[in-house]
Amino acid sequence: MSWISTIIFLPVVFLVIILLLPSRFREWYRYITLGTAILQAGIACIIYLRFDQAGSDGFQFLEKVPWIHLSLGNLGRLEIDYFLGVDGLSAPLLILSAVVMVAAAISSWEIKENMKGYFALFLLMDAAIMGVFCALDFFLFYVFYELMLLPLYFLIGMWGGPRREYAALKFFLYTLFGSVFMLLVIVGLYFSVTDPVSGAYTFNMLHMMDAANFVPGAVFSPEVVQTILGVPARLLGFAVIFIAFAIKVPVVPLHTWLPDAHVEAPTPISIILAGLLLKIGGYGILRICFGIFPDSALYFSWFIGMLGVISILYGALNALAMKDLKKLIAYSSVSHMGFVLLGFASFTTEGTSGALLQMVSHGILSTMLFFLVGVLYNRVHDRFIPNFRGLASHMPHYTAFVMVAFFASLGLPGFSAFIAEAFTLIGTFNSQSVNGLLPRWMAIAGSLGILLSAAYFLWTLQRMFFGTTRFRGGEAWSKQLIDLRPHEWAVLLPMALLTLMLGIFPSLFFDLSNSALANMVQELFETGKRHLDSLQYTNNLRF
Amino acid sequence: MEDTLQTIQSIPLEHYIWFSTALFIVGVIGVLTRRNAIIILMSVELMLNAVNLLLAAFSVHHGDPSGQVFVFFIMAVAAAEVAVGLAIIVMIYRNTGSVDIDIMNKLKW
Amino acid sequence: MTSLIIVSVLAVAVLYLGLFKYKTALLPVSVTGLLAAAAMAAMDWDLEKMYFSEMMLFDNYAVAFSILLILTTLLIFGLSRNYFEKISNNVAEYYALMLFALAGGVVMVSFHNLAMLFIGIEILSISLYVLAGIRRKDPASNEASLKYFLMGAFATGFLLFGTALIYGATGSFNLAAIASSGAFESALFRAGVLLMMVGLSFKVSVAPFHTWTPDVYEGSPGLIAMFMATVVKTAGFAAFLRLFLMAFAEASAFWAITVAILCILTLFAGNITAVFQDRFKRLLAWSSVSHAGYLLLAILAVGFSASSAVLVYTIAYSLASVAAFGIMILVSRARGNDHLDSFNGLARTNPFLAFTLTLAVCSLAGIPLTAGFFGKFYVFKVALAQGYTWLVVLAVINAMIGIYYYFKVIIAMYMKENANAVAIQLNPGFRLVLSIVVFLIFLFGIFPGLIANIL
Repeated sequence: MSWISTIIFLPVVFLVIILLLPSRFREWYRYITLGTAILQAGIACIIYLRFDQAGSDGFQFLEKVPWIHLSLGNLGRLEIDYFLGVDGLSAPLLILSAVVMVAAAISSWEIKENMKGYFALFLLMDAAIMGVFCALDFFLFYVFYELMLLPLYFLIGMWGGPRREYAALKFFLYTLFGSVFMLLVIVGLYFSVTDPVSGAYTFNMLHMMDAANFVPGAVFSPEVVQTILGVPARLLGFAVIFIAFAIKVPVVPLHTWLPDAHVEAPTPISIILAGLLLKIGGYGILRICFGIFPDSALYFSWFIGMLGVISILYGALNALAMKDLKKLIAYSSVSHMGFVLLGFASFTTEGTSGALLQMVSHGILSTMLFFLVGVLYNRVHDRFIPNFRGLASHMPHYTAFVMVAFFASLGLPGFSAFIAEAFTLIGTFNSQSVNGLLPRWMAIAGSLGILLSAAYFLWTLQRMFFGTTRFRGGEAWSKQLIDLRPHEWAVLLPMALLTLMLGIFPSLFFDLSNSALANMVQELFETGKRHLDSLQYTNNLRF
Repeated sequence: MEDTLQTIQSIPLEHYIWFSTALFIVGVIGVLTRRNAIIILMSVELMLNAVNLLLAAFSVHHGDPSGQVFVFFIMAVAAAEVAVGLAIIVMIYRNTGSVDIDIMNKLKW
Repeated sequence: MTSLIIVSVLAVAVLYLGLFKYKTALLPVSVTGLLAAAAMAAMDWDLEKMYFSEMMLFDNYAVAFSILLILTTLLIFGLSRNYFEKISNNVAEYYALMLFALAGGVVMVSFHNLAMLFIGIEILSISLYVLAGIRRKDPASNEASLKYFLMGAFATGFLLFGTALIYGATGSFNLAAIASSGAFESALFRAGVLLMMVGLSFKVSVAPFHTWTPDVYEGSPGLIAMFMATVVKTAGFAAFLRLFLMAFAEASAFWAITVAILCILTLFAGNITAVFQDRFKRLLAWSSVSHAGYLLLAILAVGFSASSAVLVYTIAYSLASVAAFGIMILVSRARGNDHLDSFNGLARTNPFLAFTLTLAVCSLAGIPLTAGFFGKFYVFKVALAQGYTWLVVLAVINAMIGIYYYFKVIIAMYMKENANAVAIQLNPGFRLVLSIVVFLIFLFGIFPGLIANIL
């Protein structure tokens, strides 16, 4: 059993232990869960230390075990492997997941009812999320991807706010809508790609990323255009998978599940939703959409960049209008994830690295932000911005962390988001001269988004934290609104330090991923360009 | 006797097929339009008899007895089926005093 | 063959046990007999024996489906303790009739001659006509019985007329002889294939010949509905596929388009109507219609993998249906009806039942790591391999709709409260069967190779 399998299946082991423990030990569940998360974080540290940074463009910690092997008669053989590994793209996200999980486990202290079910589902989701980032077999990836949905559905639907059923079902159906069609593309890819060694059809993503392995004349073959109802099959396949992941990111206009889900979800689930699930969308786009369909990615790059810009601006404008603090942060997530899309679309090393760092940074910051909202909500069960004034003098420590989180999020130099957004915008700006994919005004529009985010964060700060102390709940609230408790410190302080560290020493992150991303972007661009030229799609989507 | 046999054999196969089909369609229409359970049952029997006739004709045409054996199967099984069917109709008559299938409307989607 | 004899003799023996009032012996004897039958069927593996001048062929296909039918019946018998006693005093006839129906099912999966297909279907159907109406005083049961009978007899007419036409075109009832006759172009043959398709479609409730299904399921006793949804459906599809595979495969270009149309109709009719159901039993009935659509998709992929796909799908579907119907029976018995509201708060009062039902509907809906997911995946895959892309896209849309209505019951169980709900008592039979089902759904979900490699 290697480290990666351990990090995935550790939660499953403890899940079984929780299920077997009788209910009178219910106080233990949260400690078991926290222990699991801390152990995972430890393993993540080991992976970080043992990761060969110079060779991060190759996959490391590989594991391959045959899983489902069937003979299909005249259709050949069906081979699905349990195939795991990480490279410079997935390793930072895997480590981020472990860190966010610890924060989520601590904030799960607020869960008081039906704890057995909650922590069991929590651990199941934990395992699935880790699995998504490590799976290298497309079928396995899909299984983890779907497996993550069901616990989340229950976690929102059973422990959520008043409109939880609606929010849970909406979230579930949205994500599923994307993923079931992805399944079709997976099968199509399976019939298009063969293992160069054995010659059998394969779900292996590494083989799918290599154009040489495509069967000539197959549905998704890059050599000859196959059409489905007049649309080139590769473009269609890309679009289907892209939509599946764009729903997860979420990209405007597919984002409407996000505010609902966040508002209804309990704090730890909001943290995981914003901190990790959105990253799975970004990861999927880069690893799968771009990795397997580089030509289509190039073809659609203007369009993807445009979606990124729209997300940035639309999310920020919406955040400006929100009165519910949690909704405000949810929309700010939409805005921040727009940068990820923009960075990917630029096809430059700076842009892609920036986008990846943005994912990591946003993972940390959104954890902090949602945790901070949770702190407030747990105390007075209210989070409407107009209901609070002058919190700064009432809860000074709390306000300090809010300021750190807000300033980091709006891109203050010295924090991780600044580096991330700066790199993304540099990449976008350079794109026009380097590869001519994205026009310069997209970078300018993106920076407008930073300006807007400064506006809504500072305005919120002013409305809620400054001025004379006045609460809607009056005296009762003043008593309930006590400053941070020790376990809250335990989450917020490390997160604040982490974002500061990544802001000051971004090389901690860049060393991990740089050679992988540099190679990847280069290679994707070249193969994509080659296929695009040979295919000669009518280029009507680039205006 | 010889004459009759010859006359029968001189009837082309198509005539049997068309006749059986007509008979079958009469049965189908009966099932679809009639409202009395017993008449529906009779229409079903008509359909089965059309099949029997057709099988017998084909059997002679191919000079293969298995078609006629099949007819016996159908007759035997149809008898069993009718026995059960009539029992069901009797049961319903006892409960409702009617064999009209229009009163069978308790179950609706 | 031995297994078929055991099942038939067992049915008669059970009748006699009832006659001599050995009520307590009924269940043990049936279970032992069925286990023996399953074991004997397994002994026939790889023997490929013909019986009765090529009337029946016990190849691996027949053996696998026979065992599936027998084991499903076993599971249903496991739930039946104290169930029939509540309905009537003559318990033996239930067991006997179900065993007779099972014998018919075994014939249906092992026929090698159209005569045996007909006889198998009739043995199965006639037993079921009686079973559907077995609650003699209950108008709903009466209605179900009559509807099932009239529809069944009507469908038999089509099936037989088709058989006769095919006999006319090919001169034989033997599947191998039909396949090698080369008469695929003749109008008689084509009309025969279509009519047989209509007849079989009635039996396996394929739209537009499905209208009886929800009424009959609803009117019949829960356990009988479960039997219809699992054993009867499996046998029906196995027979459908066997006929089209062994006799009509060469003519597939001609009938495939019809099957494709039926498939789309069935999927949409089943799923869309199921969305509007507020009673769980009817919901399951409509969903069983929709599953017939997915199975048709597998039939389209004529060839080796079609039988494997149908086997995997029916195993997954039978397991999930046993659990779903079983819990439906418990809930409607305890709370008075099977309305979706009756499931409110089940997670609090009976976590095990709620979990099992969740797993079952997830399997029906095709969520990964349950047996149903691999069933759907496999079916979609073989259909895509044959180039039915649009059909599969439509099927996927239907799978989405399916998830929506299946989740209604999960929402009821986990997210709605029922203040005065009390825990439902489970007898050991239920506990055992449901545990087995949960285990198998997980096992086949995680290691689908176990069932997909059988054929």
